[in-house]
Amino acid sequence: MSATLLPMRPLTLNINGRSYGPIEVPEDMMLVDVLHEYLGLTGTRFGCGQGVCRACTVIVDDEGGPREVRSCITGAHWFSGKSVRTVEGHAKRDDTGKIVSLSPAQQAFLDHFSFQCGYCTPGFVNAATVLLEKLAKSPVAADRVEETITEALNPHLCRCTGYVRYYQAVKQLVLNTPGLVKENAR
Amino acid sequence: MTRAGWRRIVAWLLVALLAWLLLSALMRFFANRGPAQKVDATPQQLAQGRYLAAAADCAACHTAVDGAPFAGGVPLDSPFGTLHGTNITPDPDTGIGRYTADDFYHALTKGEARDGRQLYPAMPYVSYKTMTRADSDAIYAFLMNQPAVRQANKKNGVGFPFNIRSGIHAWNGLFAGAEAVPASQGASPAWQRGKYLVETMGHCGECHSPRGKLGQVDRDRSLGGNSTLGRFAAPDITPQGLAARGWDASGLDRYLATGVGAQAVASDEMLKVVGLSTGRLRKSDRAAIVAYLFGDKPPPAKALPMAATSQPDDGPAHRHYLNLCAGCHGRDGQGVPHVAPALHGNSSLRDADPHNLIVAILDGLPEHDLPGLERMQDMPGFASDLDDGEVAALVTWLRSRHGGQAQEVPPSSVAKLRKHQPRR
Repeated sequence: MSATLLPMRPLTLNINGRSYGPIEVPEDMMLVDVLHEYLGLTGTRFGCGQGVCRACTVIVDDEGGPREVRSCITGAHWFSGKSVRTVEGHAKRDDTGKIVSLSPAQQAFLDHFSFQCGYCTPGFVNAATVLLEKLAKSPVAADRVEETITEALNPHLCRCTGYVRYYQAVKQLVLNTPGLVKENAR
Repeated sequence: MTRAGWRRIVAWLLVALLAWLLLSALMRFFANRGPAQKVDATPQQLAQGRYLAAAADCAACHTAVDGAPFAGGVPLDSPFGTLHGTNITPDPDTGIGRYTADDFYHALTKGEARDGRQLYPAMPYVSYKTMTRADSDAIYAFLMNQPAVRQANKKNGVGFPFNIRSGIHAWNGLFAGAEAVPASQGASPAWQRGKYLVETMGHCGECHSPRGKLGQVDRDRSLGGNSTLGRFAAPDITPQGLAARGWDASGLDRYLATGVGAQAVASDEMLKVVGLSTGRLRKSDRAAIVAYLFGDKPPPAKALPMAATSQPDDGPAHRHYLNLCAGCHGRDGQGVPHVAPALHGNSSLRDADPHNLIVAILDGLPEHDLPGLERMQDMPGFASDLDDGEVAALVTWLRSRHGGQAQEVPPSSVAKLRKHQPRR
């Protein structure tokens, strides 16, 4: 790898509904580093650094609806003009910035003791949030609930708890939230 | 002629037709009978058969993912419809349990099943036709001593008129006799052995040689590459084709043994070939394959030229590279071991045909489980992130920066491949 640094370019980001920048950011810097080093948003985790573990997952909202993007392998400049959500953006806050209530996914993970060390949790929170929002738009047939949850959580790695409690939390949330599940297709 | 006369003729014709149908049904019925064969073989013979079955890569088409070994069921896409590898375990009713060594040799080299049914040429009998009787017998002995699996063959999805198997007889008359014209020059013992391993056993030309309109292998342009069979193209592996993309003997040998070389990481069908066949061959046999592919006087591997580019290093194509590719392939295309291959000098970027590079960017690639402990992680597809023009610019930049290919790739090349993108 050559040691020369690539030039800086001005970057404006929209994260959790707030505009940041313009700030000067190296052309080849990944989003997770900009979140940590420039914006003080340290909730997003840097795990494997190669796009496998999904701890660094953030949400991008575009025409296709919300989707997961891995911030450790995606350049910060790619997010210019896009709307991004990180784990810091889910809870409700009052005017002073103090957290008033957690999001349903966050609360469900706490209630189910879903995590132990918590390193993978921001990624799981984002995955579950995307899933819930997608189901609110197009509900899933009752007999496909389990495989839909598995599909959504499968790419995320957790090395402490063995996934079961994450899965149970999301399943209960999906079943108990009105409008996410429809009758089986005949 | 009277009306009664016509009737009589029609009636006789009908009787003749029925008689013929009955006769052929009876023949097939009796051909499907016959005793189940039991084959005795020494451990050495079995080991030799196992080795040769790997050299002929039987498992690639006859062992399904998560299926019993050699029990068939592998779907094979062809331009004529989807075919399925058959059950070649010694089960008497659904497998080849009633085949004698003669029947087996006949099926392998002539493409005719024991009941007289013509096999589709997806079974590479046109390549196997030069297999020695001894090698056929060894593979037969090995297969007949595998566990019998009762699993009926899957129905093939071949449409009219290609589902009329008698038509294949005519096809055979036209095309099955021709022997491949070697793509390289040589006479050494290694070259001779390599020819047998490449053209006959490995049946490399079935994918790597261009094909004509009727699906026949063009044996005059042997191993010259074919982009019409599957989603990915099988590249040109003639001596000139290999050298032009920077391959040398040691690099190719390492690739065939491990699936990973400085020039490329094996993907798609070739990943299977390495895992099931070339990676299991003896060193001397792999060296023979390399000797045959390059010829006795191998052309020197072409150094990577620096190509001028229409896509500058501070343009949108480079920015897409930094944003979407560099995270795994490295800022300078150097790759990350066990994660993503180097792009600098990569065989697919040096290929005159950008086909495989475009497909990889559009579709992504699954996780690679390579021989030994080697692995490469999956690659996401970017079909929904980048439009045709953006992919074309990225491909043009990549090829000129890391592949020495200066030609501009037009958006239409991307559009064509995007149109045929498989749904996932």
